[in-house]
Formats: sequence, C-alpha cells, structure tokens
Amino acid sequence: MKTIHLVISLLLAATALSADAPYELLLKGGHVLDPKNNLNAVMDVAINDGKIARVAPAIDPIEARQVVDVSGFYVTPGLIDIHVHVYAGTGMRGAYSGDNSVYPDGHTFRSGVTTVVDVGSSGWRNFEDFKDRVIDRQRTRVLAMLNIVGHGMGGGAIEQNNDDMDAKATADMAKKHPGTIVGVKTAHYRAPDWIAVDRAVEAGTMADIPVMVDFGSFTAERPFEELVTKRLRPGDMYTHMYLGSVPMLDANGKLRPYLHEARKRGVKFDVGHGGGSFLWKQAIPAIQQGWIPDSISTDLHITSMNAGMKDMTNVMSKILSQGVSIYDVVKMSTWHPAQQIKRPEFGHLSVGAVADVAVLGIERGDFGFIDVRNGLFKGNQKIVAEMTLQEGRIAWDLNARAAQDWMISYREQQRARGRGRRGAAGAGRGTAGSTIPRRP
Amino acid sequence: MKTLAIALGLLLAGTAAAQTQYDTLLKGGHVIDPRNEINAIRDVAVKDGKIARVAANIPASEAAKVVDVTGLYVTPGLIDIHVHVYAGTGQRRGYNGDSSIYPDGFTLRSGVTTVVDVGSSGWRQFEDFKDRVIDRSRTRVLSMLNITGNGMTSGPEEHDTTEFDAKATADMAKKYPGLIVGVKSAHYRHPDWTSVERAVEAGTLANIPVMVDFGTNHPDTRPLADLLTKKLRPGDIYTHCFAGNRDELISETGKINPGMFAGRERGVKFDVGHGGGSFRWEVAVAAIEQGFPPDSISTDLHVGSMNSGMKSMIRTVSKIYNLGVPLYDVIKMSTSNPAAEIKRTDLGHLSEGAVADVAVLRDERGVYGFADARGARYTGNKLLDCELTLREGNVVWDLNGRAGVNWKDVQERRPGQGRGQGQGRRRGIR
Repeated sequence: MKTIHLVISLLLAATALSADAPYELLLKGGHVLDPKNNLNAVMDVAINDGKIARVAPAIDPIEARQVVDVSGFYVTPGLIDIHVHVYAGTGMRGAYSGDNSVYPDGHTFRSGVTTVVDVGSSGWRNFEDFKDRVIDRQRTRVLAMLNIVGHGMGGGAIEQNNDDMDAKATADMAKKHPGTIVGVKTAHYRAPDWIAVDRAVEAGTMADIPVMVDFGSFTAERPFEELVTKRLRPGDMYTHMYLGSVPMLDANGKLRPYLHEARKRGVKFDVGHGGGSFLWKQAIPAIQQGWIPDSISTDLHITSMNAGMKDMTNVMSKILSQGVSIYDVVKMSTWHPAQQIKRPEFGHLSVGAVADVAVLGIERGDFGFIDVRNGLFKGNQKIVAEMTLQEGRIAWDLNARAAQDWMISYREQQRARGRGRRGAAGAGRGTAGSTIPRRP
Repeated sequence: MKTLAIALGLLLAGTAAAQTQYDTLLKGGHVIDPRNEINAIRDVAVKDGKIARVAANIPASEAAKVVDVTGLYVTPGLIDIHVHVYAGTGQRRGYNGDSSIYPDGFTLRSGVTTVVDVGSSGWRQFEDFKDRVIDRSRTRVLSMLNITGNGMTSGPEEHDTTEFDAKATADMAKKYPGLIVGVKSAHYRHPDWTSVERAVEAGTLANIPVMVDFGTNHPDTRPLADLLTKKLRPGDIYTHCFAGNRDELISETGKINPGMFAGRERGVKFDVGHGGGSFRWEVAVAAIEQGFPPDSISTDLHVGSMNSGMKSMIRTVSKIYNLGVPLYDVIKMSTSNPAAEIKRTDLGHLSEGAVADVAVLRDERGVYGFADARGARYTGNKLLDCELTLREGNVVWDLNGRAGVNWKDVQERRPGQGRGQGQGRRRGIR
C-alpha cells in the first residue's frame, strides 16, 4: 500500500512537471462555498496567473502543474475582515495609530483572511504615513476607512476634537486613493452631540463611500435608535453590533423592532468583536431572534488578539456555534463585506477573479468561546484555516498539504547534487517557504 | 438542582473571596517541570504572580479561582531563545525593522512567556529597541547584541568588520545585565573568523554566552568543526543546528558532522533556530536517530518564518516531539535548558517563589503535516497545542475559555466603566 502511494506521488510529481498544463494549481475535491455565485457543492478550483481559472466538478489533474487534495475541507473566497487596526510602528503609546495596532500578516493568512480594512486608525492627516508604513509593505491586502478625525485614533482628547473633523479634507484624501480608502469611520466619540457622526456622513457623501460607526459613549441626547433609523444612510455600517451598550433587547428580552427597521433601510450591522464589544448576553438572544450579522469582523488589535476574539476564524466559529449555517457564516465573511466596502471584485470565486482563496476545516470536539467579559459558551465546532492563497500563491499551509514528502525531496536534492547542481531548485516548489527570501 | 448549584457556587465564590490562600489554582494537570524533575499529576497554586505551591491535591477552597486542567500538561512558560522582534523602525528588509514582528501576537498563544531577540540590534541601537519593544511588550523580551553595532540591517553593513566593536558591545551588555544575555554573530559572509572572534571577545568581557549563526559556509577556511571545537567556549550556542547549510550533516556519509559531537562534549550548546531557511528534515531526522537531539528548541521567528514551515513555537516543539524525543525532554529543551543557556536560571521552572510564567499544553493525536524550511513535509501523529498561558500569574491566553465563567453569569457593566480591556492590556512589564 505504501509503495502504491509512493508510486502515485511520484506519478503526480511527474505530471506536475508538464509545463504545458493550463493551470498552475488545482484545489481538488473540496466543498466550494461561494455565496456570490450560489455555489455550495463539491467542486474543483483551478488557478492560473493569480486568478480563478475554472470552478467545476472533476477537473482533470493532468491539466494542472500542481494538485492539492482538499477533500474534506471547504473552499471559500479569501476572507475579508472589515474591522481591524493595523497602523503599527509609529511608536505612539496607547493609541490605535500606534502601539494598540498590530501588523496584519501574522494574523490574517493563518486565519484565512486575505483582505482587511483598517477602520479609522488613521485620518486624512496621517493616512499616507500609514500607507507607506503598512499598506505598501504587507502581503495582506490592506484597505482603509479614514477616521473623521484628521489625526486618526490618537487616543484621548485628539479623538474628541471637533475642529479636526474636516469632512472636505477627509473626502479629498479618500478621492485621492479610490479603492484603497473605502469608507469613513467615526469612533470613540464622547460628547452628547451628533457632530462626529454628521461630519463622517458628510465626508462619506462627498466621496461616495460608506461610513462605519463605533458609537462611542451611548448617551440619552443622541439615541442609538436615531443613529440607525435616521442619521445613517443606506449602506452605512454600525460596527460592534453585540456590544453591551446597544439597546437591543427590551425588558422581556425581546429584540427591539427598530433594528429590523434600520436593516430594512439598508444600514448594515457588523460584528467588530474587539476587546470590549462582543457579549454573549447580547449575541445569543439576538441571534436566536434572527438578529444575525451582515458582516463578521474581528476588530483586531493588541488587546483583542489574545483575549476572547483571537482571530477571524474564532469569531466565525462563535457565530457558527449559534446555529448560523457555515454557508451564511462564509457569506458574512466574504461577499457581504466586499459589497459593503464597494469592492465587489473581491469575496467570490468567479472565473477571472483574483485567486484569494481560503481552505477551511471544521473540527468537531469540545470547544470554549469566551466573550469580552470572560463569559464562556461551549461549542462543538471550530473553524480552522487549513490553507490560504493570495493572488494564487500559497500564503498559509497549516499541514503542508501542498508540500512534497521530505524523503522524496531529499532524494531529488541528492540526485541533483550528483549532477553537480547544489541545492535542487524544485524542493520547495509551491510552498509558502519558497516565496520568501532565505536566510543565508 | 440548578438553584442549589448556583447557591453553592455563590457560597464557594463567597468563601473564596473571604479567605483564600491562593489567587489561582491549576487543578488536575500533569506537571512537567524538568528543572525540579517533576513529571506527575500535580496541582499548581499561584499567588501574587509567583508559584506558591506545587503539590498533589491542593484543596480548591484555598484558591480564589480554580481552573480545571485535567488531561493537560502544565509546564513552565516556554522560552524561545531565537526570535526577531525589533519591529517598527521602518527599516526595510532589515531584521532591525520590517523583517521583525512584535512578539505578543505570537508568543502567548504558543505558551511562550520569554523570548530572546538575537542580534536584531547591536550596541548602537539596543536602547532604541528597548524603548520601542522591550519596555512595551507583555512578553518578557531579552536580547543578545549583534556584534555589529548597527544590528541586522541585512545589508553590507552587517559584514563591515570595523563595526565589530567587542568593548562597546560588552559595555552595553554590562549596562543591562539580565536583559542583555548574550552576543550574536550572524550572516557573516567573509571567509575569516573576525565576526566569531569579536563576538567571543565581547562575550568574555561581559561574561555572557555567544550565539552563532555561522553565515556563509566556508569549509576550507572556517569549517564548522573548528568553530565548535576551537573557537566557541563551553556554554556558547550554535543556532540553526539542523539547517544543513554548513555541513551539519555530511551528505556523502549521511552522518552528523563529528565536530558537532566533539563540540557538545566541550559544552557548546545546540539550538534549533528553525527560521525561514534553517531546518531540514533530513538533518533533524539523522541527528535524532544518531543520538544528537538539540539542547534548546527555538523558532527564529520573523516575517519570513511565521507563515511558512516554522509557524509557531508550539509547532516547532511538536516537530522535535514527532521525531521520537519524549515529551519531558522537549519541554526541557523549551524551558530549563534555554534558561540555563542564557544564564537566567530564575526562569524556566515551577519552583515555589519563581515567577508564575506557566504554559498549559494539550497533546493531540491525529495526522499532521509539518513543512521544513525548504517546504518538505513530514507527516506526524502528534501535535502540541497551547490551552492556557499565565504570565506573572495572569491569564494572558485561554484558548477554550477554561478560566471563563458561564456566559449567563457575566455581570452587567457598571455605568461609567470604560470599555472592558480584559486580559490583554499592555503594561510596561518585561
């Protein structure tokens, strides 16, 4: 049996070397979940030139230079996390435009994420610094929403300064970087007036991009109901939807009807888990009554990463644990957020689309999921990112599915050495390691 | 029944608050503490950030918080003595910049409580590194100074011998004893011994070990065996020991270089330093088969290794475990051994009075693939994962909410209370 296996492997390896195969890579045998295209079935996905080349049942392996068996896994569009903080490296203490942010690449790919949106860590004054430090240097696709505060999330009084909430300057910067700046954010606002929200909406209207709101302090003078039923435009987003302060349930635990009214208007509701914004006491009764997210996002930052949030697949697992189907959970993490940020070229596996792909497994067992107050919900399913492709290249491969067995590659190296070529080039073919500059 | 349970719970909680001896009790786990030669089911009690007691059957009533860790292994917090975490400078490509990453997102979730940045900074930049990273990370970050004053720029500066100032390096090390725990020589491409010799000189002046990444292989002018048997002192560390880049494995014979055995005989220590290009299965398999396990397991964490074969400390430890090294030994290679190598014997064990840096690990069985640094797969059946990490007694990672409370019992937030920052708040601790 082992011999047969070996022979098959060698045969496949030989096949893989045929240079005229039309596809670079074939993900074979997985269950494709592609909500935009209404796909929910076992299908093969062929990739060439960084793009989705074909999605169909039973694509012949001979047509691909590399075949990866992903049977037993879901194959989905690369996940899109529209609430993160990744403006790291400025040295600014206690601020999301600094020490509270993290670099994305160590958090995204291992969780199936290929696109993130930094929401409001930078404003129009420091966006280009953020772009230079992070957006242009990370492998993850990093998009941004500008904070309505020109200095971004500098912490403290900086974020409360009405004089630095310049709708025109914000819109102008957004128009300078269309597609990269995909929205306007207001966040952490404490005053009892509507200035932050109104200016953000004004900027969003000028630049024709959506607004995302973190409502800051919940005060009687500016009711949340008014925010979502009157102030926000259709297409605008409220993040932190399961935050403890959101008036979601009435005294009898019933979902308040205005929420459905807001959704009917076109306002979108985003998870934005974070370090303080996801309570089971809110999420569980809400989801039971059908108040599910439009989009799932992490609010990744230095606090959330090691607490209840952890990573994108963990937050998705939480929603899955409440009985939402995997198809819907994937929709909330791909096609929905892509539409919300008006980047409909992402978040699906249509032929010709960029080959950002996640291969997700669902583990069964006893798992615990904690909220931001250390409240525990026990579940029995957990989503794990087995593989992540970005623009067709393997950016994460948890169990080395795309790799060759070491004994085979060692023998190839030795043969190559015998022919006087030190270090066979083929050994690392197709793995994440092979695309990364080597240490001497 | 439910009411009774709640009443009982409240009673217990009440008792706990009133008169407990310990802050936290890890109950029912299998303790592996190689420094104290413990390998048995033990409870671990923590008080004021320190290990208060390790014993069989410590009563739950003696602790304010009890965490059931039955079926799991309780070990000292792991110590990863080869990382690159000098991030945030904006220096492109350099390990003193974009090739580094901040530690906290990689360490705590992998059971690691202490890391050693080896040579990302040199004596000229160390204080900048300290200000940017060491003083702001929750992970305990220690450092070895690069013998080149400007650290790991990944450019020609790294090979400029006029920048190899043993005295200045030693002086900086002596200014921060316990924090600067060694001297690093790395990446050196020239065929001479200058880099190694200056590093050893600095290490001798400051009485700290040297860690060597042996750079470009020059078997004619500076063979590995000479490094290990002549140039390094006992206690110095050879990292990337399973890289296969510098004749660690003699390919003609399939044997581990006899110089490695001779070096170990002299007291040179051998460290994994997996990285993005420094771990090959053929070397690791041969070494362990031929009786040459590593002294310490480390990741060489950086932007190139984090998403490729290396991935994390716990997966790197799992690799050595899969090669047949017993669990007790791989824990030793990740705790008390590296602590001894960096002369920080206050760390890496669960002695009473020691800082309560603790990892709680799960030992899974299944089919797992592990890629090496060349992207070749080893299929194993064992995988370690990190369930819980304590840093100075605080829960800083809790994969499955073992220290959580039932979600229904979470108290409403008091008005005026800020957004819950929970367990992850960054503090100015090392």
